[in-house]
Order: sequence, then C-alpha cells, then structure tokens
Amino acid sequence: MDLANLVSRRREPPAARDLWDAFDDLRSEFERSFGGLELSNVAGLLDWPAGPAIDLVESDEEILLLADLPGVRKDDLQVSIQGNILTVKGEKKLEEPSKSRKVVRTETWVGSFSRTVNLPPSVNTDKVEAQLRDGILRIRVAKREESQRRTVQVSVK
Amino acid sequence: MENSITRGERRTLVPSVRIMEDETEVLAQLEMPGVTNEGLEIKIDGSTLTIDGRRTDAIPEGKFLIRERRHEEYHKAFTIDDSIDHDGVSANLADGVLTLRLKVKEAAKPRKISVS
Repeated sequence: MDLANLVSRRREPPAARDLWDAFDDLRSEFERSFGGLELSNVAGLLDWPAGPAIDLVESDEEILLLADLPGVRKDDLQVSIQGNILTVKGEKKLEEPSKSRKVVRTETWVGSFSRTVNLPPSVNTDKVEAQLRDGILRIRVAKREESQRRTVQVSVK
Repeated sequence: MENSITRGERRTLVPSVRIMEDETEVLAQLEMPGVTNEGLEIKIDGSTLTIDGRRTDAIPEGKFLIRERRHEEYHKAFTIDDSIDHDGVSANLADGVLTLRLKVKEAAKPRKISVS
C-alpha cells in the first residue's frame, strides 16, 4: 500500500456521504491492498453477523421499528413492551445439517436472538401493531395525541 | 476491479449464505429479507448461477433514530462445477430466505461396489 497516498487522502475535507460509504471505502482499500483476492468469496469475513439489523423511524404519528429477520417464523417470535422498552426475541431456524449433510460454508447465524430498543417517551404503548412478512418485522407504535405535532394559537395581548 | 458491492453505478448487497451438501445435492440458503417471488431472478449461464433480488419494501419516511438496515438490491453469483446437474436446480423463497437445491449428477455420485 502506498503510504504517501493514504496520508494525502486523509487531509481532504470530508464530503457529504452516508455511513455505508465509509464501509465501502474500507472494503475497497482492503481489496486494493489484497489485490487479486476474490473478496466476494469470503464475504463472511467482513460481514460479521451480529444479530438482526433494525431501523427505528419516527414520524409525526408513530414510531416504526423494522427488523430484518429472515428465516424467523411468527410462532418463534416474541414482541413485548415494558414501560418504554420494546423487546424483540426469537429464534432463527434454517435447514439443519445432519450426519450426512455437512455445512461447507456459513456466513449467517442461527439460534436465538434478542434486541431491546428504548422508545421515545411520546409513544402510546397501548397502540402497538406488529406484522412479520417476507423476513421483515414491522412494529408500529402510535404516539400519544398530545405529543403529535399541533399548532397552538397564542393570543397576543 | 469489479466487486460485488459496487457494480458500476449500482450498489448491491451480497446476501448472507449458508451452504450444505451431501452425496446427492448441494443446498444453499440465502438471506434476502424483503424479497418476494416477483422481485427474484435466478439464472444459470454456463457455469455461473446468478441470483438477483429486488426488495419490495419501501424505505420508510421520517426521522431515523436507529439505522442499521441496508436497502440495496441483492446480487450473488456462484460458480457451479461439472458435478452439478444444471436442469436439476430448484428454488423456494419463504420468510425472506431463498433455498436453492442443486442436484449432483448421477455420474458424480459415489458408487458402492459390492464384493461378492
């Protein structure tokens, strides 16, 4: 690797970019350094599985939690709310190896998982809906009405 | 060098895979949450098996308090060798997991020879 090149690049001002660009940079730097090595064939090395990835999105009316849960069935999933803490627990099952069927490559994880998320205090935990479809869990938690965006008219004296 | 993350201008996501095999078949399971049958394309061209998956779920609107999920389309290519029967590939998509079964050719299976 060219050290001078690395140093000079570091001085450049950071451009507007998203978080994933940083990972792509890291990956391309890695690939440059280990030129010729087929990285796509060792994807598991860089994509270390750390449990389900989630998004938590706040809109005016609700809080939406999205979790990628491929291989998880409805019956193996538990969603609970205590106070403002939302917990998603479950078990991911894939086809199992056997005495004659050997695992030759694995980049994924199986077994039980648990993810806990602190919801904003504005939520109304009595109004919760959860849906699991195509490997994605969607949980909608309504916001309390008084916390939804509203306009208050203030009279000026 | 082309890599599987940045293919031209389009950024794609490599699905995590688990591969198992026995004497009769190779079983590959790819995690592709958000993909349905309509958004899935599986092709065999020569010795290359390609899987493309288009997500059907939209990026939610609002303020992201946590953002860990990637939302690109999935792309994966496998090289399959001569021991695989190209006509014996079956696919099933359920719960965001694509299961591919690739049959091993009869000629490539181990044979038992009985001793009389």
